[in-house]
Amino acid sequence: MLRALIDALFSKADTVQYPYGPVSLPEGFRGAIEFIPERCTGCGLCVRDCPANGLELIRESREDFQLWYYPARCAYCGQCQLTCPRGAISHTNDMVLPTTDPEGLAVLLKTGHKNSNKKQ
Amino acid sequence: MTKNIIPIGPQHPLLKEPISVNIEVSGEDVLGGSLRIGYVHRGIERLAQERTYVQNVHLIERICGICSHVHTTTFCYAVEDLLGVEIPPRAQYIRALMCELERIHSHLLWIGILAKHIGLDMVFMHSWHNREIVLDIMEALSGGRVSHAANLIGGVRFDMDAEHESMVRRKLQKLGDQLFGVLDAIRTDPTIRARTIGVAPITADQIREYSVVGPVARASGVAVDMRRDSPLPPYDKLDFNVITYPEGDAWARTMVRVDETRESLKLCESILDQMPEGPVTTRVRRKVPAGETVIRAEAPRGEVFYYLRSDGSEFPARLKIRTPTLAALSLIPVQLSEIRVADIPVVLAGIDLCIACADR
Repeated sequence: MLRALIDALFSKADTVQYPYGPVSLPEGFRGAIEFIPERCTGCGLCVRDCPANGLELIRESREDFQLWYYPARCAYCGQCQLTCPRGAISHTNDMVLPTTDPEGLAVLLKTGHKNSNKKQ
Repeated sequence: MTKNIIPIGPQHPLLKEPISVNIEVSGEDVLGGSLRIGYVHRGIERLAQERTYVQNVHLIERICGICSHVHTTTFCYAVEDLLGVEIPPRAQYIRALMCELERIHSHLLWIGILAKHIGLDMVFMHSWHNREIVLDIMEALSGGRVSHAANLIGGVRFDMDAEHESMVRRKLQKLGDQLFGVLDAIRTDPTIRARTIGVAPITADQIREYSVVGPVARASGVAVDMRRDSPLPPYDKLDFNVITYPEGDAWARTMVRVDETRESLKLCESILDQMPEGPVTTRVRRKVPAGETVIRAEAPRGEVFYYLRSDGSEFPARLKIRTPTLAALSLIPVQLSEIRVADIPVVLAGIDLCIACADR
């Protein structure tokens, strides 16, 4: 016990100064979602497997579809990354920052016709 | 002397999760108590019927924030049993490694809470400081501190390379070095001994009568451990001791967890030593053939029981989960007699409450 005390006296603090300081995250940390639209074919497998209804596919025809992502619902479980056969959707190492407006987070990941990024 | 009722909960600083205990007291003596649960019932068994097996792995992970991995492990073994699939040996070992790490951090959390309730904040801080090392290991391996998402039906999500293995060994070594001093101090500390020895003893007959499992049962001399009694792979190939203490009091319940923490550390080492090479996943079908199965596993708090019935579709027809805390909770009114008011925190903390598990 005494040794532990002496060690603690001469070692750095284990706490991190988040959000004022950097946070070291491990390599495989499941952070923010990254999407590569060129790889997406609109197959909808990620939507079928998402346990939190965080993805939505609105399909008019084979080529005409919209894939929406709702970060406020996302459980960051990594199932979409695992399911996607083309590697279009994956987790990055970035920490997701908090927000007070969950609706404003919705992102249009892919669309057949228009190329907008934010929900209007 | 007049009788009074002390209501504890559903919201109370003593409790981390909502549960309501009405304690009948006369002066400093506790005469009895009654219990009310169900405040965090989320209907997970019903929700599971509306989700596919793949989605259910993530739903079931959210039953508990401490023993999340053992729930998904048991569920995945149940689905794999119905599918008639055996997962690769390496995946079995990685699952077991995560289970043992989870047991260490769960027991360290509990030791900290008990010490905090006794008023010994130093042990609380040391055990939670050491618990952080285990959480770091689990985060580095799986990508999540609480929701590990390590399991999938047919294997595990991540593989361990040599770098991972040396990191785990290095951190476990560091944990062992730091922890053993704290655990020895708990065994000999006069404050902990004075506050726990002889407090709220439970006899082996009561344990059997109330079907209590896990460390609480083992502290009363009932040697039940699903890792030995109904082993999931690879526990049948691993060598470990089932820790029992005959006394049945709060002291024995503390010591069982202290010794199990050491045993789990050893078990982690032998899992790493014996870990076979090979793939970590196997391909499985999405539709599960009709049938029913029962799988039991040893969670940090005792036996978890999963009954799964499939009707041949992508959705389970029925999923029944029995968690260890529910049985242990039924012992609270029994324990709340012939104790003093100051012993109430030790009794309530002593059974390692996990209300989220019990209510589901």
